[in-house]
Amino acid sequence: MCLGIPMQIQSIDGFIAHCEAKGVTRDVSLFMMQDEPLEAGDHVVVHVGYAIQKISPQEARTAWELYDQMLAAGD
Amino acid sequence: MTGRSAKQWLDEIRALDLPERVRIMNVCGGHERSITMAGLRTALPANIELIPGPGCPVCICPEEDIYEAIQLALNEAITLVAFGDMLRVPVNVPKKDIRSLEQAKAAGADVRPIASPLEAVQIARQQPERPVVFFAAGFETTTAPVAAMLMEGAPENLSVLLSGRLTWPAVAMLLDADTSGFDALIAPGHVSTIMGPEEWQFVPEKHSLPCAVAGFTPESLLAAMYSTLRQLIEGRAFLDNCYPELVRAGGNPTAQAQMQQVMLVTEANWRGIGSIPASGFSLREAYAAHDTRKLFPARADDLRKRAGQMPPGCDCARVVLGKIYPNECRLYGSGCHPRHPIGPCMVSDEGACRIWWAGGVREPATSGPAGQSAHATTG
Repeated sequence: MCLGIPMQIQSIDGFIAHCEAKGVTRDVSLFMMQDEPLEAGDHVVVHVGYAIQKISPQEARTAWELYDQMLAAGD
Repeated sequence: MTGRSAKQWLDEIRALDLPERVRIMNVCGGHERSITMAGLRTALPANIELIPGPGCPVCICPEEDIYEAIQLALNEAITLVAFGDMLRVPVNVPKKDIRSLEQAKAAGADVRPIASPLEAVQIARQQPERPVVFFAAGFETTTAPVAAMLMEGAPENLSVLLSGRLTWPAVAMLLDADTSGFDALIAPGHVSTIMGPEEWQFVPEKHSLPCAVAGFTPESLLAAMYSTLRQLIEGRAFLDNCYPELVRAGGNPTAQAQMQQVMLVTEANWRGIGSIPASGFSLREAYAAHDTRKLFPARADDLRKRAGQMPPGCDCARVVLGKIYPNECRLYGSGCHPRHPIGPCMVSDEGACRIWWAGGVREPATSGPAGQSAHATTG
Protein backbone atom coordinates (compact mmCIF):
# COMPACT_ATOMS: atom_id res chain seq x y z
CA MET A 1 0.00 0.00 0.00
CA CYS A 2 2.99 2.29 0.29
CA LEU A 3 3.73 2.56 -3.42
CA GLY A 4 3.07 6.03 -4.74
CA ILE A 5 2.43 6.59 -8.42
CA PRO A 6 3.65 9.78 -10.12
CA MET A 7 0.93 11.49 -12.16
CA GLN A 8 0.65 14.74 -14.09
CA ILE A 9 -2.12 17.22 -13.24
CA GLN A 10 -4.25 18.06 -16.28
CA SER A 11 -6.84 20.27 -14.60
CA ILE A 12 -7.92 21.25 -11.08
CA ASP A 13 -11.46 21.69 -9.76
CA GLY A 14 -11.51 22.53 -6.05
CA PHE A 15 -9.61 19.79 -4.20
CA ILE A 16 -9.92 17.36 -7.12
CA ALA A 17 -7.27 17.19 -9.82
CA HIS A 18 -7.78 15.35 -13.06
CA CYS A 19 -4.46 13.51 -13.46
CA GLU A 20 -2.82 11.39 -16.12
CA ALA A 21 -0.06 8.81 -16.20
CA LYS A 22 0.78 6.49 -19.08
CA GLY A 23 -2.52 7.27 -20.78
CA VAL A 24 -4.56 6.41 -17.69
CA THR A 25 -6.56 9.23 -16.15
CA ARG A 26 -7.81 9.47 -12.57
CA ASP A 27 -9.43 12.01 -10.29
CA VAL A 28 -6.97 12.64 -7.46
CA SER A 29 -7.61 14.47 -4.20
CA LEU A 30 -5.38 17.45 -3.48
CA PHE A 31 -6.80 17.82 0.05
CA MET A 32 -3.47 16.89 1.67
CA MET A 33 -1.65 19.34 -0.65
CA GLN A 34 -3.91 22.35 -0.15
CA ASP A 35 -1.08 24.48 1.30
CA GLU A 36 1.15 23.84 -1.72
CA PRO A 37 0.57 25.89 -4.89
CA LEU A 38 -0.20 23.42 -7.68
CA GLU A 39 -1.30 23.97 -11.26
CA ALA A 40 -1.99 22.03 -14.43
CA GLY A 41 1.23 20.51 -15.76
CA ASP A 42 2.70 19.81 -12.30
CA HIS A 43 3.56 16.25 -11.26
CA VAL A 44 2.48 14.76 -7.95
CA VAL A 45 3.03 11.39 -6.28
CA VAL A 46 -0.35 9.78 -5.67
CA HIS A 47 -1.05 7.28 -2.93
CA VAL A 48 -4.48 5.59 -2.63
CA GLY A 49 -6.02 8.41 -4.67
CA TYR A 50 -4.46 11.27 -2.69
CA ALA A 51 -1.51 13.42 -3.78
CA ILE A 52 1.10 13.26 -1.01
CA GLN A 53 3.90 15.42 -2.50
CA LYS A 54 4.95 17.39 -5.56
CA ILE A 55 7.67 15.87 -7.74
CA SER A 56 9.74 17.17 -10.64
CA PRO A 57 9.05 15.88 -14.18
CA GLN A 58 12.49 14.20 -14.30
CA GLU A 59 11.83 12.40 -11.01
CA ALA A 60 8.39 11.35 -12.19
CA ARG A 61 10.01 9.73 -15.24
CA THR A 62 12.57 7.91 -13.10
CA ALA A 63 9.84 6.57 -10.84
CA TRP A 64 7.91 5.29 -13.84
CA GLU A 65 10.95 3.40 -15.11
CA LEU A 66 10.91 1.52 -11.80
CA TYR A 67 7.20 0.73 -11.98
CA ASP A 68 7.57 -0.48 -15.55
CA GLN A 69 10.28 -2.88 -14.42
CA MET A 70 8.16 -4.10 -11.52
CA LEU A 71 5.10 -4.58 -13.73
CA ALA A 72 7.24 -6.50 -16.23
CA ALA A 73 8.53 -8.73 -13.43
CA GLY A 74 4.91 -9.52 -12.54
CA ASP A 75 3.82 -12.08 -9.98
CA MET B 1 18.61 12.32 -7.22
CA THR B 2 21.43 10.14 -6.05
CA GLY B 3 23.26 10.60 -9.37
CA ARG B 4 24.98 7.23 -9.63
CA SER B 5 23.80 4.10 -11.39
CA ALA B 6 23.00 0.90 -9.52
CA LYS B 7 26.22 -0.63 -10.84
CA GLN B 8 28.26 2.33 -9.60
CA TRP B 9 26.68 2.06 -6.16
CA LEU B 10 27.39 -1.67 -6.09
CA ASP B 11 31.04 -0.98 -7.00
CA GLU B 12 31.23 1.61 -4.21
CA ILE B 13 29.80 -0.87 -1.73
CA ARG B 14 32.15 -3.65 -2.86
CA ALA B 15 35.11 -1.28 -2.41
CA LEU B 16 34.25 -0.71 1.26
CA ASP B 17 36.19 -2.43 4.02
CA LEU B 18 33.10 -4.26 5.19
CA PRO B 19 32.65 -5.91 8.57
CA GLU B 20 32.39 -9.68 8.62
CA ARG B 21 28.62 -9.51 8.92
CA VAL B 22 26.18 -6.61 8.50
CA ARG B 23 22.43 -6.91 8.86
CA ILE B 24 20.36 -4.11 7.31
CA MET B 25 16.65 -4.10 8.03
CA ASN B 26 13.98 -2.48 5.90
CA VAL B 27 10.48 -1.73 7.20
CA CYS B 28 8.58 -1.14 3.99
CA GLY B 29 6.96 -3.71 1.74
CA GLY B 30 7.75 -1.50 -1.26
CA HIS B 31 11.44 -1.56 -0.37
CA GLU B 32 11.41 -5.31 0.04
CA ARG B 33 9.69 -5.70 -3.33
CA SER B 34 12.32 -3.53 -5.07
CA ILE B 35 15.18 -5.34 -3.32
CA THR B 36 13.81 -8.75 -4.30
CA MET B 37 12.78 -7.89 -7.86
CA ALA B 38 16.12 -6.18 -8.59
CA GLY B 39 18.00 -9.17 -7.13
CA LEU B 40 19.99 -6.97 -4.77
CA ARG B 41 20.60 -9.80 -2.29
CA THR B 42 22.59 -11.79 -4.81
CA ALA B 43 24.31 -8.70 -6.23
CA LEU B 44 25.65 -7.50 -2.88
CA PRO B 45 28.64 -9.01 -1.06
CA ALA B 46 27.60 -12.13 0.89
CA ASN B 47 28.37 -10.57 4.29
CA ILE B 48 25.56 -8.01 3.79
CA GLU B 49 22.21 -9.43 4.91
CA LEU B 50 19.03 -7.60 3.94
CA ILE B 51 16.27 -8.34 6.43
CA PRO B 52 12.60 -7.55 5.75
CA GLY B 53 11.07 -6.21 8.98
CA PRO B 54 7.62 -5.00 10.07
CA GLY B 55 6.76 -3.25 6.82
CA CYS B 56 3.44 -4.80 5.83
CA PRO B 57 0.32 -3.19 7.30
CA VAL B 58 -1.92 -6.05 6.22
CA CYS B 59 0.37 -8.54 7.98
CA ILE B 60 0.24 -6.77 11.33
CA CYS B 61 -3.45 -5.83 11.23
CA PRO B 62 -4.87 -7.43 14.38
CA GLU B 63 -6.83 -10.61 13.93
CA GLU B 64 -9.66 -9.20 16.07
CA ASP B 65 -10.12 -6.25 13.70
CA ILE B 66 -10.47 -8.54 10.68
CA TYR B 67 -12.86 -10.73 12.67
CA GLU B 68 -14.89 -7.63 13.57
CA ALA B 69 -15.07 -6.61 9.91
CA ILE B 70 -16.25 -10.10 8.93
CA GLN B 71 -18.93 -10.08 11.66
CA LEU B 72 -20.14 -6.64 10.57
CA ALA B 73 -20.35 -7.73 6.95
CA LEU B 74 -22.21 -10.93 7.82
CA ASN B 75 -24.62 -9.64 10.45
CA GLU B 76 -25.41 -5.99 9.78
CA ALA B 77 -27.30 -4.43 6.88
CA ILE B 78 -24.21 -2.64 5.61
CA THR B 79 -21.79 -2.45 2.72
CA LEU B 80 -18.23 -3.16 3.83
CA VAL B 81 -15.39 -1.73 1.77
CA ALA B 82 -11.70 -2.45 2.30
CA PHE B 83 -8.41 -2.33 0.42
CA GLY B 84 -8.22 -5.44 -1.73
CA ASP B 85 -5.41 -7.10 0.21
CA MET B 86 -7.51 -7.27 3.37
CA LEU B 87 -10.20 -9.41 1.77
CA ARG B 88 -8.10 -12.58 1.65
CA VAL B 89 -6.50 -12.50 5.11
CA PRO B 90 -7.78 -15.47 7.11
CA VAL B 91 -8.68 -15.33 10.81
CA ASN B 92 -8.30 -18.18 13.26
CA VAL B 93 -11.70 -19.86 13.30
CA PRO B 94 -12.71 -23.48 12.63
CA LYS B 95 -12.56 -24.37 8.93
CA LYS B 96 -16.33 -24.70 8.71
CA ASP B 97 -16.71 -21.04 9.73
CA ILE B 98 -16.25 -18.03 7.49
CA ARG B 99 -12.57 -17.12 7.74
CA SER B 100 -12.09 -14.06 5.54
CA LEU B 101 -13.93 -11.13 4.05
CA GLU B 102 -13.64 -12.88 0.70
CA GLN B 103 -15.53 -15.87 2.11
CA ALA B 104 -18.08 -13.53 3.69
CA LYS B 105 -18.64 -12.01 0.25
CA ALA B 106 -19.08 -15.47 -1.27
CA ALA B 107 -21.64 -16.20 1.46
CA GLY B 108 -23.69 -13.20 0.35
CA ALA B 109 -22.31 -10.32 2.41
CA ASP B 110 -21.93 -6.98 0.61
CA VAL B 111 -18.13 -6.71 0.65
CA ARG B 112 -16.34 -4.62 -1.96
CA PRO B 113 -12.64 -4.05 -2.61
CA ILE B 114 -11.56 -0.44 -3.05
CA ALA B 115 -8.27 1.21 -3.98
CA SER B 116 -8.90 4.65 -2.47
CA PRO B 117 -10.90 6.41 0.25
CA LEU B 118 -12.43 8.39 -2.65
CA GLU B 119 -14.13 5.16 -3.76
CA ALA B 120 -15.58 4.67 -0.27
CA VAL B 121 -17.08 8.16 -0.46
CA GLN B 122 -18.44 7.45 -3.95
CA ILE B 123 -20.08 4.17 -2.86
CA ALA B 124 -21.64 5.85 0.20
CA ARG B 125 -23.04 8.65 -1.99
CA GLN B 126 -24.53 6.15 -4.42
CA GLN B 127 -26.57 4.50 -1.66
CA PRO B 128 -27.38 7.16 0.97
CA GLU B 129 -29.88 4.94 2.78
CA ARG B 130 -27.41 2.14 3.44
CA PRO B 131 -24.53 2.35 5.95
CA VAL B 132 -21.08 1.88 4.44
CA VAL B 133 -18.23 0.69 6.68
CA PHE B 134 -14.70 1.42 5.48
CA PHE B 135 -12.30 -1.08 7.08
CA ALA B 136 -9.15 1.05 6.92
CA ALA B 137 -5.94 -0.80 7.75
CA GLY B 138 -2.61 0.74 6.87
CA PHE B 139 0.43 2.71 7.89
CA GLU B 140 0.74 6.51 7.80
CA THR B 141 0.59 6.60 4.00
CA THR B 142 -2.94 5.22 4.14
CA THR B 143 -4.10 6.61 7.47
CA ALA B 144 -3.35 10.21 6.41
CA PRO B 145 -5.70 10.00 3.38
CA VAL B 146 -8.40 8.48 5.64
CA ALA B 147 -8.03 11.50 7.95
CA ALA B 148 -8.21 13.82 4.92
CA MET B 149 -11.36 12.05 3.72
CA LEU B 150 -13.08 12.56 7.09
CA MET B 151 -11.92 16.14 7.51
CA GLU B 152 -13.11 17.10 4.07
CA GLY B 153 -16.56 15.87 5.04
CA ALA B 154 -17.58 12.25 4.48
CA PRO B 155 -21.21 11.28 3.73
CA GLU B 156 -23.32 10.69 6.86
CA ASN B 157 -23.72 6.98 6.09
CA LEU B 158 -19.95 6.36 5.83
CA SER B 159 -18.07 5.17 8.91
CA VAL B 160 -14.50 3.99 9.41
CA LEU B 161 -13.34 0.84 11.16
CA LEU B 162 -9.91 2.26 11.79
CA SER B 163 -6.89 -0.01 12.02
CA GLY B 164 -4.14 2.47 11.19
CA ARG B 165 -0.65 2.13 12.58
CA LEU B 166 2.48 4.24 12.96
CA THR B 167 5.56 2.52 11.55
CA TRP B 168 8.34 3.76 13.81
CA PRO B 169 7.06 2.44 17.19
CA ALA B 170 7.51 -1.17 16.03
CA VAL B 171 11.16 -0.45 15.21
CA ALA B 172 11.55 1.38 18.52
CA MET B 173 10.11 -1.66 20.31
CA LEU B 174 12.57 -3.99 18.55
CA LEU B 175 15.50 -1.75 19.43
CA ASP B 176 14.37 -1.20 23.03
CA ALA B 177 14.10 -4.97 23.51
CA ASP B 178 17.78 -5.23 22.62
CA THR B 179 17.11 -8.29 20.47
CA SER B 180 16.63 -6.32 17.29
CA GLY B 181 18.93 -8.48 15.20
CA PHE B 182 20.02 -5.73 12.82
CA ASP B 183 22.92 -3.30 12.58
CA ALA B 184 21.42 -0.58 10.38
CA LEU B 185 18.01 0.57 9.20
CA ILE B 186 16.60 1.63 5.83
CA ALA B 187 13.70 3.94 6.73
CA PRO B 188 10.53 3.99 4.61
CA GLY B 189 10.31 6.56 1.80
CA HIS B 190 6.66 7.45 1.55
CA VAL B 191 5.97 7.26 5.29
CA SER B 192 8.80 9.81 5.65
CA THR B 193 7.34 11.88 2.80
CA ILE B 194 4.23 12.44 4.91
CA MET B 195 5.55 12.31 8.48
CA GLY B 196 9.02 13.77 7.87
CA PRO B 197 12.35 11.95 8.12
CA GLU B 198 12.80 13.27 11.67
CA GLU B 199 10.62 10.43 12.98
CA TRP B 200 13.64 8.13 12.48
CA GLN B 201 16.13 10.34 14.31
CA PHE B 202 15.81 8.11 17.38
CA VAL B 203 17.58 5.26 15.56
CA PRO B 204 21.00 6.95 15.41
CA GLU B 205 20.48 9.20 18.46
CA LYS B 206 19.13 6.74 20.99
CA HIS B 207 20.52 3.47 19.62
CA SER B 208 23.64 4.63 17.74
CA LEU B 209 22.52 2.70 14.67
CA PRO B 210 23.04 4.04 11.13
CA CYS B 211 19.81 4.96 9.37
CA ALA B 212 18.95 6.22 5.88
CA VAL B 213 15.63 7.02 4.24
CA ALA B 214 15.38 5.39 0.81
CA GLY B 215 13.17 5.64 -2.24
CA PHE B 216 12.08 2.72 -4.34
CA THR B 217 14.61 2.56 -7.16
CA PRO B 218 17.58 0.19 -6.79
CA GLU B 219 19.81 3.29 -6.99
CA SER B 220 18.12 4.96 -4.02
CA LEU B 221 18.09 1.75 -2.00
CA LEU B 222 21.76 1.08 -2.76
CA ALA B 223 22.65 4.68 -1.89
CA ALA B 224 20.93 4.20 1.48
CA MET B 225 22.76 0.91 2.05
CA TYR B 226 26.07 2.54 1.12
CA SER B 227 25.34 5.37 3.55
CA THR B 228 24.58 3.05 6.45
CA LEU B 229 27.63 0.88 5.67
CA ARG B 230 29.91 3.95 5.60
CA GLN B 231 28.38 5.09 8.88
CA LEU B 232 29.08 1.68 10.43
CA ILE B 233 32.66 1.57 9.18
CA GLU B 234 33.39 5.10 10.32
CA GLY B 235 31.67 4.58 13.66
CA ARG B 236 29.35 7.57 13.36
CA ALA B 237 25.62 7.00 13.14
CA PHE B 238 23.31 9.64 11.70
CA LEU B 239 20.08 9.93 9.76
CA ASP B 240 20.69 10.24 6.02
CA ASN B 241 18.08 11.11 3.41
CA CYS B 242 18.63 9.21 0.16
CA TYR B 243 15.19 10.14 -1.20
CA PRO B 244 15.46 13.96 -1.19
CA GLU B 245 13.34 14.29 -4.33
CA LEU B 246 10.28 13.48 -2.24
CA VAL B 247 11.28 13.43 1.43
CA ARG B 248 11.62 16.96 2.80
CA ALA B 249 12.36 18.21 6.30
CA GLY B 250 9.12 18.19 8.25
CA GLY B 251 7.33 15.98 5.70
CA ASN B 252 3.87 17.09 4.62
CA PRO B 253 2.71 19.36 7.49
CA THR B 254 -0.81 19.73 6.04
CA ALA B 255 -1.36 15.96 6.12
CA GLN B 256 0.05 15.72 9.66
CA ALA B 257 -2.23 18.50 10.90
CA GLN B 258 -5.24 16.74 9.38
CA MET B 259 -4.31 13.47 11.10
CA GLN B 260 -3.98 15.28 14.43
CA GLN B 261 -7.30 17.00 14.00
CA VAL B 262 -9.19 13.79 13.18
CA MET B 263 -7.36 11.13 15.17
CA LEU B 264 -5.75 10.41 18.51
CA VAL B 265 -2.61 8.30 18.81
CA THR B 266 -3.31 5.28 21.01
CA GLU B 267 -1.78 2.04 22.21
CA ALA B 268 -2.50 -0.62 19.60
CA ASN B 269 -2.25 -4.33 19.00
CA TRP B 270 -0.03 -5.64 16.19
CA ARG B 271 -0.66 -9.13 14.87
CA GLY B 272 2.36 -11.28 15.56
CA ILE B 273 3.93 -8.65 17.78
CA GLY B 274 1.49 -7.66 20.52
CA SER B 275 0.54 -4.33 21.99
CA ILE B 276 2.78 -1.33 21.30
CA PRO B 277 2.29 2.01 23.10
CA ALA B 278 1.35 5.04 20.98
CA SER B 279 1.39 3.08 17.72
CA GLY B 280 -2.24 3.19 16.55
CA PHE B 281 -5.08 5.62 16.00
CA SER B 282 -8.63 6.19 17.16
CA LEU B 283 -11.09 8.77 15.87
CA ARG B 284 -11.60 11.88 17.98
CA GLU B 285 -14.98 12.47 19.58
CA ALA B 286 -15.85 15.07 16.95
CA TYR B 287 -15.86 12.24 14.40
CA ALA B 288 -17.84 9.77 16.52
CA ALA B 289 -20.65 9.78 13.95
CA HIS B 290 -18.16 8.23 11.51
CA ASP B 291 -16.63 5.77 14.00
CA THR B 292 -17.77 2.21 13.23
CA ARG B 293 -16.77 1.08 16.71
CA LYS B 294 -19.17 3.61 18.23
CA LEU B 295 -21.97 2.81 15.78
CA PHE B 296 -21.73 -0.99 16.07
CA PRO B 297 -20.13 -1.63 19.47
CA ALA B 298 -21.61 -5.11 19.77
CA ARG B 299 -19.48 -6.42 16.90
CA ALA B 300 -16.19 -5.83 18.67
CA ASP B 301 -15.03 -8.88 20.58
CA ASP B 302 -12.41 -8.00 23.18
CA LEU B 303 -11.96 -11.67 23.98
CA ARG B 304 -10.26 -12.07 20.61
CA LYS B 305 -7.46 -9.69 21.58
CA ARG B 306 -4.79 -12.30 21.90
CA ALA B 307 -1.43 -10.68 21.40
CA GLY B 308 0.54 -12.11 18.54
CA GLN B 309 -2.16 -14.42 17.29
CA MET B 310 -1.16 -16.02 14.00
CA PRO B 311 -2.60 -19.19 12.41
CA PRO B 312 -1.35 -22.50 13.88
CA GLY B 313 1.99 -23.58 12.42
CA CYS B 314 2.52 -20.21 10.75
CA ASP B 315 5.75 -18.34 11.46
CA CYS B 316 4.53 -14.96 10.15
CA ALA B 317 5.13 -13.47 13.60
CA ARG B 318 8.85 -14.16 13.35
CA VAL B 319 8.97 -13.13 9.69
CA VAL B 320 7.32 -9.79 10.52
CA LEU B 321 9.86 -9.13 13.27
CA GLY B 322 12.78 -9.99 10.99
CA LYS B 323 13.79 -12.93 13.16
CA ILE B 324 13.65 -15.37 10.25
CA TYR B 325 13.54 -15.06 6.47
CA PRO B 326 10.26 -15.95 4.74
CA ASN B 327 11.55 -19.26 3.39
CA GLU B 328 12.53 -20.32 6.90
CA CYS B 329 8.84 -20.54 7.85
CA ARG B 330 7.68 -24.11 8.43
CA LEU B 331 4.81 -23.65 5.97
CA TYR B 332 6.55 -21.65 3.22
CA GLY B 333 5.82 -23.26 -0.12
CA SER B 334 4.39 -26.42 1.45
CA GLY B 335 1.11 -25.53 3.13
CA CYS B 336 1.26 -21.83 2.40
CA HIS B 337 1.58 -20.17 -1.00
CA PRO B 338 -0.19 -17.26 -2.72
CA ARG B 339 -3.08 -19.35 -4.06
CA HIS B 340 -3.75 -20.80 -0.60
CA PRO B 341 -2.24 -18.38 1.91
CA ILE B 342 -2.29 -19.37 5.56
CA GLY B 343 -0.49 -16.42 7.10
CA PRO B 344 -0.97 -12.74 6.21
CA CYS B 345 2.63 -12.42 4.94
CA MET B 346 1.67 -14.64 1.99
CA VAL B 347 -1.53 -12.67 1.27
CA SER B 348 -0.45 -9.09 0.90
CA ASP B 349 1.54 -7.65 -2.00
CA GLU B 350 3.66 -6.08 0.73
CA GLY B 351 4.10 -9.28 2.72
CA ALA B 352 7.65 -10.59 2.67
CA CYS B 353 6.55 -14.17 1.93
CA ARG B 354 4.40 -13.12 -1.03
CA ILE B 355 7.19 -10.92 -2.38
CA TRP B 356 9.81 -13.67 -2.10
CA TRP B 357 7.44 -16.13 -3.78
CA ALA B 358 6.81 -13.64 -6.59
CA GLY B 359 10.57 -13.13 -6.82
CA GLY B 360 11.05 -16.83 -7.57
CA VAL B 361 12.08 -18.16 -4.15
CA ARG B 362 10.14 -21.40 -4.07
CA GLU B 363 12.28 -23.61 -1.83
CA PRO B 364 12.70 -23.71 1.95
CA ALA B 365 15.79 -21.96 3.27
CA THR B 366 17.86 -25.12 3.67
CA SER B 367 17.94 -25.63 -0.09
CA GLY B 368 17.28 -22.03 -1.15
CA PRO B 369 19.25 -20.21 -3.81
CA ALA B 370 22.48 -18.47 -2.92
CA GLY B 371 21.98 -15.22 -1.12
CA GLN B 372 18.47 -16.11 -0.02
CA SER B 373 19.49 -18.55 2.69
CA ALA B 374 18.74 -18.29 6.37
CA HIS B 375 20.30 -15.69 8.58
CA ALA B 376 21.08 -16.66 12.13
CA THR B 377 18.07 -16.15 14.34
CA THR B 378 18.38 -13.86 17.27
CA GLY B 379 15.47 -14.80 19.42
